[in-house]
Amino acid sequence: MSKPYVMAGALLAIVATSAGQVDLGALARSQEDNESWLMYGRNYSAWRYSPLDEINTENVTGLVPAWIFQSGVAGKFQTTPLVHDGVMYVTGPSNHAWALDLKTGRQLWHYSEPVPEDLPLCCGKPNRGFAILGDRLYKVNMQATLVAIDAQTGGVIWEVESADYRVGYSNTVAPLIVKDMVVIGIAGAEFGTRDFIDAYDAETGERLWRFWTVPGPGEPGNETWGGDSWKRGGASTWITGSYDPELDLIYWGTGNPGPDLDGSPRPGDNLYSDSMVALDADTGQLKWYFQFTPHDVHDWDAVADPVLIDMEVAGEPRKALVQANRNGHFYALDRTSGEFLFARAYTEVNWTDGISPDGRPILIPGHEPTDEGTLTCPGMGGGHNWHATSYSPLTGLYYFNSGDGCQIYHGAPQEFVEGEYYLGSAMENVSGEPREGSIIAVDPTNGDTRWRFPLVSPPSSGMLSTGGGLLFAGTMEGYFMALDARSGKPLWRLQTGGPVRAPAVTYRFQGRQHVASAAGPSVMVFRLGP
Amino acid sequence: MTARILALASAFSVCAAAQQLQSSPFNGDKESIGAGRAAYRLRCSACHGIHAGGGRGPALNRGKFEAGDTDLDIYRIIERGVPGTEMPAYGARSTEENIWRIVSYLRTFEPAPEEDVQGDAQVGEQIFWSKGGCGACHRVGRKGGAYGPDLTRIGRSRSVEHLRASLLDPDDDLPPGYFVVRAVHRDGRTTTGIGVAFDDFSAQLRDSTGKLHSFLREEVRSLEREYTSLMPSGYGESLTADEQLDLLAYMKGLRGREAE
Repeated sequence: MSKPYVMAGALLAIVATSAGQVDLGALARSQEDNESWLMYGRNYSAWRYSPLDEINTENVTGLVPAWIFQSGVAGKFQTTPLVHDGVMYVTGPSNHAWALDLKTGRQLWHYSEPVPEDLPLCCGKPNRGFAILGDRLYKVNMQATLVAIDAQTGGVIWEVESADYRVGYSNTVAPLIVKDMVVIGIAGAEFGTRDFIDAYDAETGERLWRFWTVPGPGEPGNETWGGDSWKRGGASTWITGSYDPELDLIYWGTGNPGPDLDGSPRPGDNLYSDSMVALDADTGQLKWYFQFTPHDVHDWDAVADPVLIDMEVAGEPRKALVQANRNGHFYALDRTSGEFLFARAYTEVNWTDGISPDGRPILIPGHEPTDEGTLTCPGMGGGHNWHATSYSPLTGLYYFNSGDGCQIYHGAPQEFVEGEYYLGSAMENVSGEPREGSIIAVDPTNGDTRWRFPLVSPPSSGMLSTGGGLLFAGTMEGYFMALDARSGKPLWRLQTGGPVRAPAVTYRFQGRQHVASAAGPSVMVFRLGP
Repeated sequence: MTARILALASAFSVCAAAQQLQSSPFNGDKESIGAGRAAYRLRCSACHGIHAGGGRGPALNRGKFEAGDTDLDIYRIIERGVPGTEMPAYGARSTEENIWRIVSYLRTFEPAPEEDVQGDAQVGEQIFWSKGGCGACHRVGRKGGAYGPDLTRIGRSRSVEHLRASLLDPDDDLPPGYFVVRAVHRDGRTTTGIGVAFDDFSAQLRDSTGKLHSFLREEVRSLEREYTSLMPSGYGESLTADEQLDLLAYMKGLRGREAE
């Protein structure tokens, strides 16, 4: 080949690559990009709201499958698919992932990596999705690694270990891209790990900063852990945070302290467990924190989506951060300072007389887990646990699910054994009281519950709201459904044949709106027929 | 990880690689037993009780076990489960070490006298098939109805206390899959039966004749799931105290032989 042809070929390759690339500007403008779904929460504010309205309350009954991808992989599909440039990128359980042709659902490539047999796990082998930047995808693997993947081929570019899985660390979180960095959390609190939030160079995989969610000796907050209990303090970070580019702050929720149910080895508030932390994006330095459940003994992680809404609270404009917390309360904070604005219970709560003006729960005695057991509401899974939530600027409502009911909490001292469960005892269901749930619509400006759609089982799926006035969600029994976002009335449903454990996404492809969701071991894509 | 646990784990690895262990390497080790108790509470307590005193599953705190009394017997039951019962196999869900730790925890209970029922099992059998009317809904071997749970092996899987509670208060602890579904039709008629499936939009139930009914919520006035038993609740009055003991003695002896 002569030189001019080589150059022309190289130029074409660059143009082709550029067309498929996602730059930082595209991520910043993701809310306006109706052809794509570029990050876990759709935008940096974690709204999971799309303005697309072709599918709406008037015609949603006309939804039909466009295609179904059968993965052939067993396990919990909790992924948020990413959509870009004619391709859907899906992660699955047990370190599997796929690129799918958006037109047909045909597989373009399949990535997989074995899960070590000696990996200690509390909750299955799910994964919640990719992040995308440039022509690369980023995902975590179960064995606490972060891997960069070529979006065109599925080939591994680099893989780095963020922690030693043998001592109990694992990972399931969808990464968040912030300023050429890949930001991830970690899991492991059920095994007495000390957890963190990490940022890695998206180009090289080099770790740029780490924020320990349990402070070490000499650091502020370490005094809230008795003795050396901070070493096993947990505070996992297994759900993706959000980011405010203007304030340049990353918001991330943290999980329970360890051991989960026995507070005796860890006297004190146990910072920064069950907290919202705001980190300087460049350095990972803590700017503020708010602890929802000090000295938690009920496994009430505060990892749920930190959703950023500019709204009026008590007549005053606020840059707010809202969270439906697992302890049974909906919270609004000022995201510039962490100031507590208000909290309202959204499900049955019997452990507190409310939240005091400084944001601290007013405890009702008698709810510490004991050897014989204490009845406390909500149960261990919440309240709202981790499932993706949605804020609709169209309706002004915030949507999340809730496990409703109580459980019996047993607590007992337990010696720590590295790599083994470190719970401090266990849970028991209340005889004759099945665990149920609901999908809830809350006015985020005051915490008022506007409507509630009851579920016969604990909730399983995340939320998607749209400009068509719809809320998409699913159930453990396999229904994928559309509710009227204003009233909660069910408008359309399909029995998919498998539990819907994932949040839906929506995008426009070839001029038509599509809605996609994992269900069972499959990914299903719908559009209006024919 | 303490040096002692490391040494134990190391010894375990060597032993396990060489041959099938006959007894738990963790017996008597406080930390391992604590870990075993934690694993027990996580995996086993829902059926066998938070303190191993039994419930839906047999009591495990008496030092005697249905499947045999050696450590290896207990290990194999946890590893492989008990086919035909609600006891699942944990071999694929747990490490060998963790199973041995659970065995060591169960070994901490002092042997207790076997549960005894002062009743006549032969008389109890007659009551079961006649006065009690139990056979109308419950199957033993190839005989009896299929509306209620199969009791062919019930003496192996339930403690006497649990059987007694179920006889006198059928709502006390419903077996999995035996909730009630009640459909109220638009004309006010009611169809009630054992729930086969129940979700946010539909329910399937089997009535006392064995007929399957399927309802969509929009087809009926209401569709409710109730965690109560369809079994009559008056056995505390309709049977004398001696007859109750006779019936319990019969059920305690139901260990699957009839089906073999």
